[in-house]
Amino acid sequence: MSVAYGPPEMMAVAMARLIRDGELVFIGVNSPLPLVAASLARRLHAPNCTLLSIGGGVNPTPAGLGAATSSARLSIGSASVFDNVDFYGLVARGGVDTTFLGLAQIDERGRVNSSFIGEQKRPTVRFPGGGGAATILPLSRRVILWRASHSPRIFVEEVPFVTSAGNIDRVVTPLCTFRKEEGFLVLDSIHSYIDRERLAKSTGFAIRNLDRAPVTPPPTAAELSELERLDPTGVRRSEFPPGDLSAA
Amino acid sequence: MSKQLALEDAVRLIKNGQRITIGGTLCQRVPAAFVREMARQAVRDLELVKPSPGYDIDLLAAAGCVRRIRSGIVSLEQPFGMAPNFRRAVEEGRLEVIENACPTIMASLQAASFGVPFQPVAGLQGSDIPKVSGFGKVTDPFSGKEVYVVEAIQPDWAIIHVNEADARGNARIYGTPVWDRLMSRAARRCILTAEKILPTEHFASQPELTVVPELFVEAVVLAPSGAWPTSSYPDHDLDEAAIWDYLKKLRAPDGLARYLEETKAHDRSEKEVAA
Repeated sequence: MSVAYGPPEMMAVAMARLIRDGELVFIGVNSPLPLVAASLARRLHAPNCTLLSIGGGVNPTPAGLGAATSSARLSIGSASVFDNVDFYGLVARGGVDTTFLGLAQIDERGRVNSSFIGEQKRPTVRFPGGGGAATILPLSRRVILWRASHSPRIFVEEVPFVTSAGNIDRVVTPLCTFRKEEGFLVLDSIHSYIDRERLAKSTGFAIRNLDRAPVTPPPTAAELSELERLDPTGVRRSEFPPGDLSAA
Repeated sequence: MSKQLALEDAVRLIKNGQRITIGGTLCQRVPAAFVREMARQAVRDLELVKPSPGYDIDLLAAAGCVRRIRSGIVSLEQPFGMAPNFRRAVEEGRLEVIENACPTIMASLQAASFGVPFQPVAGLQGSDIPKVSGFGKVTDPFSGKEVYVVEAIQPDWAIIHVNEADARGNARIYGTPVWDRLMSRAARRCILTAEKILPTEHFASQPELTVVPELFVEAVVLAPSGAWPTSSYPDHDLDEAAIWDYLKKLRAPDGLARYLEETKAHDRSEKEVAA
């Protein structure tokens, strides 16, 4: 039996599966998909992972999820408030297992640019900045990067500026999941609804193992029904531009 | 002694060319009424030091109030995405960004709050940020290992929106203080905008809940919903429709002036100063 799903569901499930039971997982600002994924993992295979939110909560239990992950609502149900200064101390002392980080551009060597393109004083493109990534990427035991969009302007041969680099474990996109192997991004799996030619055209560097990587196991019925119960308002879709939600 | 001022008078404390830090994060508990009043009074050439600005820098960039910013990330967060007026100001060369990571701004503020000239910071390996932003690298005299250091940066003012304050400047913040506790200790002086002004006894009854003590505070402004359209936990979440409306209005040539005019009554209401 086939179950309907698209890139938001595939990404949320793929990211959830990467979380291991018992880990301490950090969810920062601007992170709707990681919030959904970590909450899903806690309901499925990782009930004993600790979710630390930049909203101040340790395993918060707000009534519903929202797209703004810096909200102080993400301390509701928490027995303590763990603020930004506390978090950056914890990550610096090596206390964080897994962190999700966004990106504006990434290159074949897993270097991330979230800062700018062009001259620093007057850039042709200004990005938001990397947040804490330059500190977190070398210090969090594992970092899962994600971006709800996949194009040759995002996945480039070489970034013009390195905002952050370090312990990349996986990069999850609407088309595929990469992993870092011997210093280079390689294809971990390609999502079931994407053909390999399209993935190659959408990526600005040559994928070394394009033809050999497996297909990402589609979300199971159990994963999808739990996802729908957890996220009835569709926070998982909030990072996708309107009209960009179909698998086609 | 009461430090309570009307919003317009408190904003007049900010002088052109000063360095400020602003409490809250992205679209959460930003002292938005104060920020809009700075734009109305056309304060100029400010330097903003803040790990994670959002609505505040977007509006101040549109109004031309800020010449330089030290930040880790600038965003309005989902569902709004990037701060478009900030982006335009930087791409047009009107606003300089000194690239940081959030915790390197934090460390610069910590150094200021501790009274030391610089602060070692963890991480940053492989990043171009230390090179372009003038961080130092020193040898740890104890282990012999190399470590990045950032200089102390002391803002002239920390402007913080709080849930409750007394007229002397003691304040509570409910939910996460984000970076505000540190900001209050790093800046030369603080200005508070408060949802409520309550008697000092309220704070003395549970002093451990006071995030900002009066000794750092220069002025207190009564500003009910002074964080709007950003959130003020637990009273209200961010006002999504109002932030979309802000973004839409500012796309028009005279949009900022209209927006500042339309929000003036909201911002300046309840400005009665206690005797």
